[in-house]
Amino acid sequence: MTAILIVALVTGAILFGIGVYGALSQTNLVMIMMGVELILAGALVNLVAFWRFLHPEIYAGQMFVLVVMTVMAVEMAVGFGVAIARFRARGSVEMEEARDLKG
Amino acid sequence: MYAQAFFVAVFGLAAIGFGVVVFRTSSMVRSALALLFSQTAVGCMFLAMQTEFLGVLQIMMMATEMSIMAIFMVMFMMDPGGMGGMDMTHQKRFSIGAGVVAAGVTIVVAFWVDWGPVTVEAPDAAMQTRALGMELLGRSMLIFETAGVTILTAMIAATAVAIPVQARANKGEMESPE
Amino acid sequence: MTLAIVLLALLASVWLLAVTEGWTTTGRLRPAAPLLSGLAHLGRESIVPRTPDRVFFETAPVLFLIVAVLGAAVLPLAPTLVIADLATGALFINAALAYVLVAVIMAGWGPNGAYAMIGGWRFLGQLIAYAMLIVMPITAVAMRAESLVTTVIVGSQGSLWNIVYQPLGFMLFFIAAMALAFRAPFDLPIAAGELGGGVDAEYTGVRLAVLRLARLTLVVTLASAITVFYLGGWHGPLLPPWAWSLIKTLAVAVSMLLVGRYLPRIREADLMRWCWTLGIPLALLNIIVVGVLVLVVP
Repeated sequence: MTAILIVALVTGAILFGIGVYGALSQTNLVMIMMGVELILAGALVNLVAFWRFLHPEIYAGQMFVLVVMTVMAVEMAVGFGVAIARFRARGSVEMEEARDLKG
Repeated sequence: MYAQAFFVAVFGLAAIGFGVVVFRTSSMVRSALALLFSQTAVGCMFLAMQTEFLGVLQIMMMATEMSIMAIFMVMFMMDPGGMGGMDMTHQKRFSIGAGVVAAGVTIVVAFWVDWGPVTVEAPDAAMQTRALGMELLGRSMLIFETAGVTILTAMIAATAVAIPVQARANKGEMESPE
Repeated sequence: MTLAIVLLALLASVWLLAVTEGWTTTGRLRPAAPLLSGLAHLGRESIVPRTPDRVFFETAPVLFLIVAVLGAAVLPLAPTLVIADLATGALFINAALAYVLVAVIMAGWGPNGAYAMIGGWRFLGQLIAYAMLIVMPITAVAMRAESLVTTVIVGSQGSLWNIVYQPLGFMLFFIAAMALAFRAPFDLPIAAGELGGGVDAEYTGVRLAVLRLARLTLVVTLASAITVFYLGGWHGPLLPPWAWSLIKTLAVAVSMLLVGRYLPRIREADLMRWCWTLGIPLALLNIIVVGVLVLVVP
């Protein structure tokens, strides 16, 4: 059974890696958010695997998954709010053009 | 048990495959929907790991979330259909390096750690749903409530940020010409 | 075996619904018409528009049909006649129906046509209006049954159907279901008069046949969901359980068609405003009322 746990963890790790690549390499705000979503998806896989294979009697593990899903939703809402404001102000959400936000 | 391993692996591969497609295609709608199917595959992995409630919840939530992502992509990208083949990336080598290192380190850790005894039998699905409900409205109630209030705050904050300044200033009057 | 029976029942309902729809629109009762028009679609040329997103274009009708059938898989026809009696059935049907949106967006984006694309994105706006009104009434239903299992939900209505117990929830769910199925007053994505067919516009031949079949299946699935959640499912005197389920499902489906025939199409902005300023407070009220009833009335 440890094999399944490892399979799930490796999947989570690879999703995390793809997400990190996406979040760092994309120039568009929405694409960066997609990278972040993938990172969180990797975290979700790990959390569920840990709950299922290590501590199925502790439901705080499932609770944690719900909290991460909340974080995903919140990230989307705030991200799109910022994207709309940015698009209104500058006409694009390209991060290369957002150097003026740097302190 | 072999069936379970098989399904976890297949859905895991599907999640990874669609995850790669997200950043490989130049069509933005495809990219968003690939992310959706990647998340769906993650949800199916949960189902394969006998975590029924969370799996169904994940599958349900992501359908709406990623479709909304798709329309934002179309709104904000210069080339949403990907017909022009624009390159939308920067610092590529650094990003690939960071991604490989991040994935590699976590994989090494996953293999390195002694996970100890692994539970074979999962609780039955109806029991799980019930126990999760008890957890939500019992010990973790404060966390759950905080999550709800956080979403509400985020909704208000996002709306406040997204409403144009002009409309905010002229509240109650006719919209001024831009 | 159960699978075959349920699929057959679904197909039979779709056929009856199609015949009834033809009857009410043309005034002639022709039992063979759906079959003939389906065959005619198979014979016609399946045109692929210029520079389509081929993957979406081909997948959308099939995905639509699959999710409609998947939604029906958790709905019981009789105490044992259900394909998958999931522990989270009431949530699963939400999850399956959420992918109707994905299919419509794919069908809208795929053909590379302006009308189709507007239709697809319109459905996303429509979803933002109706989604809460699907989930919240189901919450109230699950509260009364104290379970998400669909067979238990039907069992909980043995003494009193939910349509009497929570009429507000029934009305909201009925309206939201019509919006989900994009039937007549809410048919913004295909809007025959203004969008020239919208999502359907670029589909011809076999693909259009699948798309039409999927839409009718979706109506039957939703009618079946209303039956299970509000009309007491298989409960009823004299007739066998499955017959009651089918009769109620068909009655609901036909009433959905009829309501649509006498109402004008709703504007997207109005739909959104009414759903959020009126529908969601009412749905919350429904949850509170049901909660009080569940606690007070034993």
